[in-house]
Amino acid sequence: MSNFMKLIWNEQIKLYAKKATWVMFAVLLVIAIGGGLITKFFGTESDFKEYGDNWQTELQEENAQLTAEMQDEEFGGFMNDMIIAENSYHLENNIKPQPYDGWEYVLENSFLTSVISLFTIIVAAGIISNEFKWGTIKLLLIRPISRTKILFSKYVSVLIFALTMLVFLLLSSWLVGALLFGLNGLNPMVVQDMMPGYAHNDVLGEIAKSYGFSIVTLVMMATFAFMISAIFRSSGMAIGLAIFLMMAGNAIVAFLSQYEWSKFILFANTNLAQYTNGMEPMIPGMSMTFSIIVLLVYFAIFLGAAWAAFTKRDVAGN
Amino acid sequence: MSKPAMQLVNLKKTIGNKPIIKGLDFEIRAGEVFGFLGPNGAGKTTTIRMMVGLIDITEGDVLIEGKSIKTDFKGAIQHVGAIVENPEMYPFLSGWKNLKQYARMVEGVTDERIKEVVSLVGLEKAIHEKAGRYSLGMRQRLGIAQALLHGPSILILDEPTNGLDPSGIREIRKYIRNLAEKENVAVIVSSHLLTEIELMCDRIGVIKNGELIAIEEVRTVENEEALKEVYIEVEPMETAKTYLDTHLPNAVGVGSKELSMSVKREEIPQILKNLMEQGISIYGVRVLQATLEDKFFDLIGENSIE
Ligand SMILES: Nc1ncnc2c1ncn2[C@@H]1O[C@H](COP(=O)(O)OP(=O)(O)OP(=O)(O)O)[C@@H](O)[C@H]1O
Ligand SMILES: [Mg+2]
Repeated sequence: MSNFMKLIWNEQIKLYAKKATWVMFAVLLVIAIGGGLITKFFGTESDFKEYGDNWQTELQEENAQLTAEMQDEEFGGFMNDMIIAENSYHLENNIKPQPYDGWEYVLENSFLTSVISLFTIIVAAGIISNEFKWGTIKLLLIRPISRTKILFSKYVSVLIFALTMLVFLLLSSWLVGALLFGLNGLNPMVVQDMMPGYAHNDVLGEIAKSYGFSIVTLVMMATFAFMISAIFRSSGMAIGLAIFLMMAGNAIVAFLSQYEWSKFILFANTNLAQYTNGMEPMIPGMSMTFSIIVLLVYFAIFLGAAWAAFTKRDVAGN
Repeated sequence: MSKPAMQLVNLKKTIGNKPIIKGLDFEIRAGEVFGFLGPNGAGKTTTIRMMVGLIDITEGDVLIEGKSIKTDFKGAIQHVGAIVENPEMYPFLSGWKNLKQYARMVEGVTDERIKEVVSLVGLEKAIHEKAGRYSLGMRQRLGIAQALLHGPSILILDEPTNGLDPSGIREIRKYIRNLAEKENVAVIVSSHLLTEIELMCDRIGVIKNGELIAIEEVRTVENEEALKEVYIEVEPMETAKTYLDTHLPNAVGVGSKELSMSVKREEIPQILKNLMEQGISIYGVRVLQATLEDKFFDLIGENSIE
C-alpha cells in the first residue's frame, strides 16, 4: 500500500472506531425503514393501485368520479386536481400507470442526502480539530510525512465517508423499497411531476441526477466545515457555521437577490438542478457553466485556506 | 568524541513580541543521555517543539544527523522519536491499535517490531485494552513505545518521569541507559527535577528564561576525583573516632552510629581497611553526590516565572 493509502486507512480506522459514526449509519437506516413503512401504510391509495388491460377506461372513470367529488366537497380539491392531471397525462401520452415501487422509493429518498450532508459536516469538522483536542496532532506531525499529505489524506477520508454513506443510503432504500413495494423491472420508466407539467423518464437516470445534484451541496459544505476546522481547530464552530449556512443559504440568496453580485454567492450556485428541465435560474444571467466556475473557485479557496492554515501554523499548546 | 546527533545553532523563538528562547547553542552526541533541566516555564517544551518541527524557528536552526529540520523536514525527522509534553493517545483505540497507527506512517515497522517495543516498555498485559483506560504511567510507557517504533537514533522525551511511580522511574532510567549504551541512541530528557534525571544523564544542560546557563558533565573523571561526602556506619563508635581523630581530622560523628567525612573516591578502600584492622565493625558505607544538586540550585536560584 502506498504511503497516502495507509494514511487514509488510518483515518478510516479512527472514524469507525467511534460509536458516533455507527450511530450515523443507524439513523440513516432507521429513517429509510421508517419512511418505507409510513409510505406503505399511510401513503396515497391511488399510488399503489394496479391497473388492468382496460387501464384507459379505469383512468377515465376515476377522473369522472374525482371531478364529481370536487363539486360536492370544497376541500380536498387540490389533491384531486393533481391526480386528475396525472391521469390525463397518462391518457394523453398512452402510458399505462404502474404502481409505486422500490425504485421510486429510492428516488424519493434522495432528500436524505441532506442528512448525509449533515453527518459529513460533523465528520469533516472533527477530523482535524479532534486531533488537536486529543493532543495526538503532535504525534501525527512528527512523522516523516509532509503536513500537506496528512491534510489531504484527511480530506479524502471525509469524501470516502460521504460516498460510503451515499452507497449505504442507496442500498438500504432499495432493499426496503423492494421488500415493501416490489420492483417494476430493472429500470422502469416513471412519470414525474415537474411542476409545472409531467415527464416520463427512466428511473435510474432520474436517481443519478437527483443524487448527483445533491452531492454538490454536500461536498461544498463538507469542504467548508473542513476549512473552518483547519483554521480555528474547533469542531463546534465548524459544525455550527456549516449547518447554519446550509440551512440559511437559500434565504440569504433570496434576501440579497436584488443585487447583481448575489449571483456570486455560493448558495446561489449549489443547486445545479436549476438549469435542467427548462427552469428559470434563480438570478437572471446565470448559467450552468457560470455556476460550475463559481463552485470551483469556492472549492479552491476553501481547500487553499485549509492548507495554508494547516501547513504554516505553529502547533503549540492545547 | 562521537559526532553530534543533534545540533542547536543559535536557536531562537519569539512569540508575539516576547522572546521565549533566546539563542540556544549546544549539541547532543550519539550514545549520550542529555538532561534538559529547567524550572517551569523555562522553555524546555518550546525548544523541543522546535527540535521536532511542530513550531516555526524564529532564528537559528536545528540540525539532526546533519539535516536541517527547517529545510529538510523529512530527512531530519525520520531519525527522531519523541514525546512532546503529555503522552496523548487515541482514547477509543487500544494501545496496540494506537501503535499500529504510527507504524503505518513509516516504512518497515513490522508487527514483530511492535511486539518487541511493547515488551521493552512492559505493556504486554494491557496492550489490547483501550488507551482511554490507561493510567498516566501506562500512557507514558505507550508514549515511549510510540517514539521507539521506527528505531530512531535520537529520542526526545519531554518529562518522561511525569506521573510515574518510583519503580516506573527506575525502569525508564534503566532502558534509557540501555538505549544509549547498547544502541548508541542519543536521548534528550527534559525535567524540572534534577534528582529525577541526574542518575540517567551523562550531561545536563540547564535552561532558565530561555537561556542556557550551564552545561555540566555528570560522570566525568574530575568528578570521580572530587571530594565526596562519605558516611560509614561503625561499631564501636568511640574506638573509631579515636582512630580517625589522629588519621582523618575532618571526620565527624553523625548520630550514634555514623561517621561522616569528605574524601576522594580512591581513598575509600584504604580507610575501610584501616578501620577494620582496628577491630571496628563496618555495617554500611554511603557515598553522597549532593554536590551536583547544590550547584544547580545555586544556578537556577529562585524560580521566578517571567
Ligand atoms: N503560544 C505561546 N504564546 C505565548 N507564550 C508562550 C506560548 N507557548 C509558550 N509560551 C511561554 O514560553 C515559556 C516557556 O514555556 P515552555 O512550555 O517551553 O516551558 P517548559 O520549560 O516546558 O515548562 P514546564 O516545566 O512547565 O513544562 C513560558 O513562559 C510560556 O508562558
Ligand atoms: Mg514543558
